[in-house]
Amino acid sequence: RNYYGGNWASFSFSGLCSWIRENKQKRDVREESDDWRKLILETEEAISLNMKDNTIQHIEYICYANQDLAEDVNEAGALRKLSAFGVSDNGEATQGSEKECQPVESQSLGPESCEVSPESITCNDPESATERSDAEMTSESENLCDATSDESALEKGKMENASTAETAALEPKKITYTQIVIEGRRFNIDLVSKLLYSRGLLIDLLTKSNVSRYAEFKNVTRILAFQEGRVEQVPCSRADVFNSRQLTMVEKRMLMKFLTFCLDYEQHPNEYEDYKEYKFSEYLKTQKLTSNLQHFILHSIAMVSEADSGTIDGLKATKKFLQCLGRYGNTPFLFPLYGQGEIPQCFCRMCAVFGGIYCLRHSVKCLVVDKESGRCKAMIDHFGQRISAKYFVVEDSYFSEKTCTNMCYRQISRAVLITDQSILKTDSDQQISILTVPPEELGLPAIRIIELCSSTMTCMRNTYLVHFTCSSTKTAKEDLEPIVQKLFSLNSETERESENEGGPEKPRVLWALYFNMRDSSGIDKNSYDSLPSNVYVCSGPDCELGSDYAVKQAETIFQEMFPNEEFCPPPPNPEDIIYDGDGTQTEDPGFSNSSNVITKPSPEENSGGDGDSNQFSEEQHEE
Amino acid sequence: MMAIRELKVCLLGDTGVGKSSIVCRFVQDHFDHNISPTIGASFMTKTVPCGNELHKFLIWDTAGQERFHSLAPMYYRGSAAAVIVYDITKQDSFHTLKKWVKELKEHGPENIVMAIAGNKCDLSDLREVPMKDAKEYAESIGAIVVETSAKNAINIEELFQGISRQIPPLDPHENGNNGSIKLGKQTTQTTRRCC
Ligand SMILES: Cc1cc2nc3c(=O)[nH]c(=O)nc-3n(C[C@H](O)[C@H](O)[C@H](O)COP(=O)(O)OP(=O)(O)OC[C@H]3O[C@@H](n4cnc5c(N)ncnc54)[C@H](O)[C@@H]3O)c2cc1C
Ligand SMILES: Nc1nc2c(ncn2[C@@H]2O[C@H](COP(=O)(O)OP(=O)(O)O)[C@@H](O)[C@H]2O)c(=O)[nH]1
Ligand SMILES: [Mg+2]
Repeated sequence: RNYYGGNWASFSFSGLCSWIRENKQKRDVREESDDWRKLILETEEAISLNMKDNTIQHIEYICYANQDLAEDVNEAGALRKLSAFGVSDNGEATQGSEKECQPVESQSLGPESCEVSPESITCNDPESATERSDAEMTSESENLCDATSDESALEKGKMENASTAETAALEPKKITYTQIVIEGRRFNIDLVSKLLYSRGLLIDLLTKSNVSRYAEFKNVTRILAFQEGRVEQVPCSRADVFNSRQLTMVEKRMLMKFLTFCLDYEQHPNEYEDYKEYKFSEYLKTQKLTSNLQHFILHSIAMVSEADSGTIDGLKATKKFLQCLGRYGNTPFLFPLYGQGEIPQCFCRMCAVFGGIYCLRHSVKCLVVDKESGRCKAMIDHFGQRISAKYFVVEDSYFSEKTCTNMCYRQISRAVLITDQSILKTDSDQQISILTVPPEELGLPAIRIIELCSSTMTCMRNTYLVHFTCSSTKTAKEDLEPIVQKLFSLNSETERESENEGGPEKPRVLWALYFNMRDSSGIDKNSYDSLPSNVYVCSGPDCELGSDYAVKQAETIFQEMFPNEEFCPPPPNPEDIIYDGDGTQTEDPGFSNSSNVITKPSPEENSGGDGDSNQFSEEQHEE
Repeated sequence: MMAIRELKVCLLGDTGVGKSSIVCRFVQDHFDHNISPTIGASFMTKTVPCGNELHKFLIWDTAGQERFHSLAPMYYRGSAAAVIVYDITKQDSFHTLKKWVKELKEHGPENIVMAIAGNKCDLSDLREVPMKDAKEYAESIGAIVVETSAKNAINIEELFQGISRQIPPLDPHENGNNGSIKLGKQTTQTTRRCC
């Protein structure tokens, strides 16, 4: 595997195409060498690990955008690589891949679904990645030429965009597949689609640990609802409610009254006591609320299931939503610039700054268990290197089928669309929206849609990136395509003109991807077959909107390993103690009293003799 | 009053070429043979005048991540400039320099200013990389190039002055961070209650 972060990763467009290809590849193409077995002593046994991730299934992608006959288009910015970072492909492999990613039909005779045949991929063996990066250095001059020509392509793209920017508001710009490929690195497409609750555990953790310094966020600008085939905005803040044009005066008062109550519902038990055993949807019916308002509250604010969420669940969820409002903006949610995939990197950076080491591009062959003590002693990587450790945190997907025999995983259905217009057009084309669509049939899962605009740095200008998520009942396409069809037009350019007379024009899908992802959350460690006690399992992403699950899990694992340590403590001497050549302390560290705590200089480092081991201590400031 | 512009500058290059030493020389005017890894400091700052602006460099060091080629794209985000360092006494380090440039082109912002520093020029007896090679290469990618010595404080100021001059003037349209939110700096945004 040539990328990191597992199913939390995010990709540029070409990176995503490679990810698709890699996942469609036959599972067992690798040749197994048993050399590593020699490294295991008689007193030890091995728990072999998966060499390949099996968590992604039913990948399908469809290109609806015009394939303007372009053959050899490449992502601009010299991006010719498989991974989101790190390991590079050689040029040939990527060119191959890009062609493969283009639907076979080059004319827009209608949308063409294309399958990549695994046989045709011979040039891209992930295992040989390391060798390739050597080769790539020698062919540098080649790459340089590419870089320059690619850049001019990008320049051109930019000019085109700029010249049409003014008209864009009136008429959606016709984006072709070639443009998507050329501007491919403007996309940061997350495999998971989540938001941060502005008072959720992840925000708390990021701020507390100061990891937040590495990320920037945008506030989600709109909460949407889908009723009777129409998308509309849900008023949720006080100002929204009063300014709303869809609500009648009476409705405004009803909604305000109910939301005000929810904010401290615990104080008014008599209001809901009798309905404790009811479903929240039933409870709402007993309140003075129109059905329109009930829909807003149930699906867009509380975002709970109509079929099985109780009154208390609903009130709790509504309260959580309301409490998060107004902290950073008009909705309770934040989205990281460049996508969710930034968050793991931010934690990595903080860790590295404090001396943590990441050995990337090593896959793990097996864990080594001491027969006598039953504890795990070491792991062996694919170079046959043995690395000893006390604790092992292993993601669920690493374990082989044998270890997971008793497991029955849930699945997540995902779709990612690149579209040409927002699902609800307004004056501003830079909206970030969340829309929860209740299921057609009671009892089925609701579908969560997050629409991102280009200023989130996840898609190119004049496009939107739309993420769909629900817990699976069937394949992702079966679960999600019906709603995609309701919200978007899947027709190619030519068909569009004739169709849809009268009704408002729907945004058009340019490119779509469907896949199922394993949901390994909520699994008890004991369900895995005989794991040593010092091996800790962490799950892949869950299906929820927030990241509370992952944060809690990380903390729990950490506490089990180090019961006396604080989890992600504020850095004692953060980079705020940045030595400032001007002698001005610009950012207030707020930790200034402990500026000498962290560096534990080794004796050699002190030998400089100036007695000041901490090169960033404030004493060093000059005026 | 002169306007202060914050400019993120990231450092790249193999382990041992002198990246941390260059920053240390520039920011603290100090050199230490046994420079300790920059534990706990993610970036350092220094402000220099440039025309009628003040450029406040936020200099990001790699925190040793380069050793395992494990720099995340995040490291490059929003950089105005990158200093790519090689060691004039090590041909290898000049070779990998090109790889760093490539990585930068892939992950870095579009109009990033690139500066190449051939460090340890005080050790010219041991030179393996001719200045000419570096000049040619730099020209081919449109980068600034200087030979530096963090040890003897040669060309370090000049390196950053060179970067300053290449920074395009502030685009009035690109007013700051177009509404993005930084957490933690206790955003005392109008804490408006919803209801
Ligand atoms: C887009 C993005 C970019 C990032 N860039 C960087 C970066 O440049 N540097 C950095 O330090 N961190 C980076 N990170 C953070 C990184 O994802 C991880 O947090 C970090 O690498 C720690 O690894 P991990 O534990 O998540 O393992 P993983 O990233 O999951 O994997 C580490 C190694 O284990 C192998 N592996 C993964 N899954 C399996 C499996 N099922 N079976 C067998 N082997 C497997 C992989 O091939 C890889 O070699 C990035 C994250 C994202 C989302
Ligand atoms: N002679 C000489 N040695 C240097 C110079 N710059 C750095 N060094 C030495 O090179 C080694 C590596 O420097 P360091 O800054 O840690 O490199 P980094 O890994 O790139 O950050 C240290 O021993 C430094 O003392 C220089 O200009 N001249
Ligand atoms: Mg260093």
